[in-house]
Amino acid sequence: MSHMREIEFELNGVRTRATVRLDMSALAMLRDVMGLTGTKYACGEGECGACTIIVDGVSVCSCLMFAVDCEDRTLTTIEGVGREPLGARLERAFVDCGAVQCGFCTPGVVMQAKHWLEAHPNPTRDEIKRGIEGNLCRCTGYVKIVDAIEAASRAEG
Amino acid sequence: MAVEEYWAPATLSDALERLRGGDVTILAGGTDLMPQSHAGRVTLARGLLNVRRVPELRGIEAADGGVRIGALCTMSELMRDPLVREHFGILAEACDHFASDQLRNAATLGGNVCNASPAGDTLVPLLVLDAEAELASKPDGRVQFRRVPLSAFFSGPGRTARAPDELLCAIRLPRPPAGFVGRFYKAGLRPALDISAISIGIGGVPGGRALGQARVAYGAVAPVPMRARRTEQALEGAVLDAATVERVAAIARDEVRPIDDVRASAWYRRELVFNMTRRMLGDVAHA
Amino acid sequence: MTVIEKSSLIGRRIAKLDAPEKASGQTRYVHDLDLPGQLHGSILRSARVHARIRRIDVSKARALPGVHAVLTAADVPYQRPLGVGKDQLPLKGDKVRSRRDEVAAVAAETVEIAEAALALIEVEYEDLPVLTDPSKALEPGAPVIHGENLAPPSPHDSLKPGEPGDAEAHRHNVAMTFDYAQGDVAAGEAESDVVVDDWFRLHYVTHCCMGVSGVIAEFDRSGNLTLHSNTQVPFLHKREFAEILGMDPGRIRIIQPPIGGGFGSKLDIYPFEPIAVFLAKATGRPVKLVFSREEEFVASPTRQPVLLRLRSGAKRDGTLTFRVCETLHDNGAYTSWGATTPFVMMQTISSLYRVPHCSYHTTAVYTNNPYAGSFRGYGNLQATFAVEQQMDELAEKLGIDPLEMRLRNAQEPGEVTPQGMHFRTCGLRQCLTTAAEASGYREKHRAALAAQKAPGHRKRGVGMASMLHVGGGAKIYPSDGCGTILKIDDFAHVTLMTGASEIGQGSETVLAQLVCEELGIPLDAVTVVNNDTDITPWDVGVHASRTTFIGGNSAIGAARKAKAKILAAAAKVAGVAEAELELRAGHIVRAASGEALMSLAKLLRSLHFSDKAELVMTTHYYEPPSRHQDKAFKGDVSAAYAWATQVVEVEVDTDTGVVRLVKVTGAHDVGRVLNRLGIEGQIEGGIVMGQGYAVTEDLIVEDGVVRNPGFRDYKLVTAPEIPEMDIHFIETMDGEGPQGAKGVGEAPAICMAAATANAICNATGVRIRDLPFTPEKVYRALHAAAAPAKAP
Repeated sequence: MSHMREIEFELNGVRTRATVRLDMSALAMLRDVMGLTGTKYACGEGECGACTIIVDGVSVCSCLMFAVDCEDRTLTTIEGVGREPLGARLERAFVDCGAVQCGFCTPGVVMQAKHWLEAHPNPTRDEIKRGIEGNLCRCTGYVKIVDAIEAASRAEG
Repeated sequence: MAVEEYWAPATLSDALERLRGGDVTILAGGTDLMPQSHAGRVTLARGLLNVRRVPELRGIEAADGGVRIGALCTMSELMRDPLVREHFGILAEACDHFASDQLRNAATLGGNVCNASPAGDTLVPLLVLDAEAELASKPDGRVQFRRVPLSAFFSGPGRTARAPDELLCAIRLPRPPAGFVGRFYKAGLRPALDISAISIGIGGVPGGRALGQARVAYGAVAPVPMRARRTEQALEGAVLDAATVERVAAIARDEVRPIDDVRASAWYRRELVFNMTRRMLGDVAHA
Repeated sequence: MTVIEKSSLIGRRIAKLDAPEKASGQTRYVHDLDLPGQLHGSILRSARVHARIRRIDVSKARALPGVHAVLTAADVPYQRPLGVGKDQLPLKGDKVRSRRDEVAAVAAETVEIAEAALALIEVEYEDLPVLTDPSKALEPGAPVIHGENLAPPSPHDSLKPGEPGDAEAHRHNVAMTFDYAQGDVAAGEAESDVVVDDWFRLHYVTHCCMGVSGVIAEFDRSGNLTLHSNTQVPFLHKREFAEILGMDPGRIRIIQPPIGGGFGSKLDIYPFEPIAVFLAKATGRPVKLVFSREEEFVASPTRQPVLLRLRSGAKRDGTLTFRVCETLHDNGAYTSWGATTPFVMMQTISSLYRVPHCSYHTTAVYTNNPYAGSFRGYGNLQATFAVEQQMDELAEKLGIDPLEMRLRNAQEPGEVTPQGMHFRTCGLRQCLTTAAEASGYREKHRAALAAQKAPGHRKRGVGMASMLHVGGGAKIYPSDGCGTILKIDDFAHVTLMTGASEIGQGSETVLAQLVCEELGIPLDAVTVVNNDTDITPWDVGVHASRTTFIGGNSAIGAARKAKAKILAAAAKVAGVAEAELELRAGHIVRAASGEALMSLAKLLRSLHFSDKAELVMTTHYYEPPSRHQDKAFKGDVSAAYAWATQVVEVEVDTDTGVVRLVKVTGAHDVGRVLNRLGIEGQIEGGIVMGQGYAVTEDLIVEDGVVRNPGFRDYKLVTAPEIPEMDIHFIETMDGEGPQGAKGVGEAPAICMAAATANAICNATGVRIRDLPFTPEKVYRALHAAAAPAKAP
């Protein structure tokens, strides 16, 4: 068994301490150590985006990140993103636009959309599609997800 | 294998000291290391060395008339960088085809180079840009640097000229000649998130319906990403009429050494090399 | 006087009730649940494709600290066969027949310990000859997959579809056969002016639910079993689990946490589920067993791969004369629902268009490959792929426009087909013309034909396909019904307890909507309970595009009973005839004027506390007026039938073989649109799933081994690849459907591969009968003369 290490970081606005295995992923830390299950495992190799979180302002697949690498960083997960105006707007737009079916991919897409819209404030539909190319969805065919991200990008405050 | 120690040194010297101690896995972006280790294709060593805090591995800056790109630069940083976009557009273009936004935000140029995948997305443009790897080590208490041309860096799938005690610090790109044009192509259905069946990079200075100082590189058609020297020679001074383009593309098809795997057959890869080289040469000649 | 206008929720864009929880990450799927004292289960799968198990040594695994149980078949002497074919035990003891076979299982304190324990288990195999080519399964001397007869006589034979092979047939690797005939095929052929005859090859794909398979099993002290399960058929599974485990079904409770995608994959019981129960029993602790993605690819079902030969004929004027279809189904190592897809396939062969003479034969054979289950569309993608390509081929041979060819043979409302299906509503003709006109099909088709030989590597083409699918349930089981319990509290809040399961498709929302429509209450006045067999009434399961239709009719039935009770009480209180009253916006109103007489809540309280000490609680069980097929597969199995036409426009790069889907125009006979947001989502998602089947997805199985068990090389469609979509709804107002609606869940995926094949042919002049249309496949077809033979 790999050894453990105590690390400190900011999680959803709160200074946090966690004891993690050295070979553990940030995803496993969030789910199994912190008990935050909104971030999903669906492939474990960065191919599906279900585990997307925001680290130091950019979206990453938490399944590919070592938990120890979270040390001193700032993490936002789906549990925290709704407290920010853009995150809240996205969650509402996903509901209103029908972008949610089984919902398993949804937290990851919301997180990715949050980051993408911050970098691309007025995207075209094609740009939105490129923005979420790393998020697989088996239910919706993506149309309503693109609708939702577009709506969130246009909505005020 | 159990990971027993973890270091995140703040200086290059400390990082190299840890490397010299041996039995160390280097962690940068983690985007390949994590899945590879989970799948059992890479065994994590006793010590995990996170190089994220080493300042020498960061930044994109003008150097020697060209550019020095810190090994920790992410694909996203490369794509956005004005210097890269202006003078090394083919590299920014390849980054745009790299995996997905989440992976581009985490994956580093150094990691892509050190993984030495025959299909590594940035490797083909780096070869076209005559890149050099800047390696550091500390064999006898003093930090030393050496540079290796990227065309001599790869020795097989996942194997490179980097010694176990060396750290890839940066990629250096010389300033391309005036009028240089580069084109990148990656086969597949998707714009990105795809392991390429093949990729092609072609660069040179177009003029008089020819492509001067031509550089041609291919990915996923040999054990290592390769410069196609015979193809380049055939291009030198040749007027790119339809017949010549066909002839050069046929040389390229002959020069690559692809294999059959789940992604494509060797035959199809050669066909793509021929068809797309032909198409790209036609484009470049008229650029 | 307060006046409340009449309003309706039908056809509106209604957000899913469970979406706020899902969009904020608060929904707890089975993966997210942890019970106190829970252990983690993990399964050791076969290292061989076909082998006898000589010896299993688990002693080292048992000795590992943190391991609570290690089980092999020898430790579970009470296990019984499971699945559709009852041809496998959860843990394999004597031999393994595929790489997904379960050899041993571990329960440990963590997943890591469980996996470490698996690595310590030693298994000695004796290899047996391997059979992975279904076309060789019936050759003399072929390896025998099932030599022994595992299955005891089934206690509910009526559940058994088709003709299960008997012990003798098993020995010859035949798992199941289907034979259907109508008319006189020879006579049909004799009157044909043209005949086409082709082989079609349909590949392996798999569901790729974003939520991987998982289950939690726990026993209480009295021996009652609770399963937290992703099943799509909780009530059928309750019974089947009881049978496998030798338990009283009354002691089994199935709770379905929200499910991360179903698509048919969760219609059968798979070995991991009873294995989790065995582990829970052995340890006395709750056991959670969740797959990795790789395991999901290796050990969950596939769509049925099919080798299909179709011969069709037509007269000079385009009238179809006959069809003969023979298929070879690669069953894989065991029989699950994939083997029974001929039920649906033969409907398309016999009844999508009017065909007087028809025969259909399927042989499903055992091999050492992964086994196929049910998957959205249930064989219909495969059958439609062949039928709709031959419609184009016949049209071409006859010099008839492909749209005209289809219109000439289209089914009409009122038709009773020779197979016994009665099309009370049928929008096929409108689907065809709507999709063709909206897409500019005729002009584009002609233009692409003319441009086929033009220079350039980018070729555009357009193709169409139609489909017929059950849209009013499917009477396969003894009942195709669904039960509802409806209660209204003192504040006019409704709890709708329904047997119908939610798997992301939006059933809970549409059921709530239908109840609101009857009771005149807002959507937020309804709570839907649909996930606990101890609470909800029986339902046959979420499959066959049946939930809106069957569950909807059941919910409406319960709501109407409640409404009758409310109006009767209100009539007395208000001194007005019942017929003059209506329910609107939480009030009792005069129907004619809209005048609000009293609030519903107040009436309910008076009924409860003062008048009669009565609560408004109703139940309803809806059984559709469909019939079981007879032994010759004839019968009107669904209460309604769904229709659609899709036109696909492609761009083919002849230098690379890349096929890009530019646009899909769909016209769907859905009976009536209930929730526009939900139905658009179903259609869009189905189109993209069909696109994946046609173009990107390919589960590569070589020598019985899945070569691409991950999303890196198993390519789901990503957002930038989706086509533009133009979707039209044809509302035929089905008389039996809830508010006129028909089922639509499976329909949108069905036409895509066929229409894409026709579009590629229109663009390039090359017809490809082999899926999927991956770049290399297409390139080889376009450059057939130059291409070397590909290793099989």
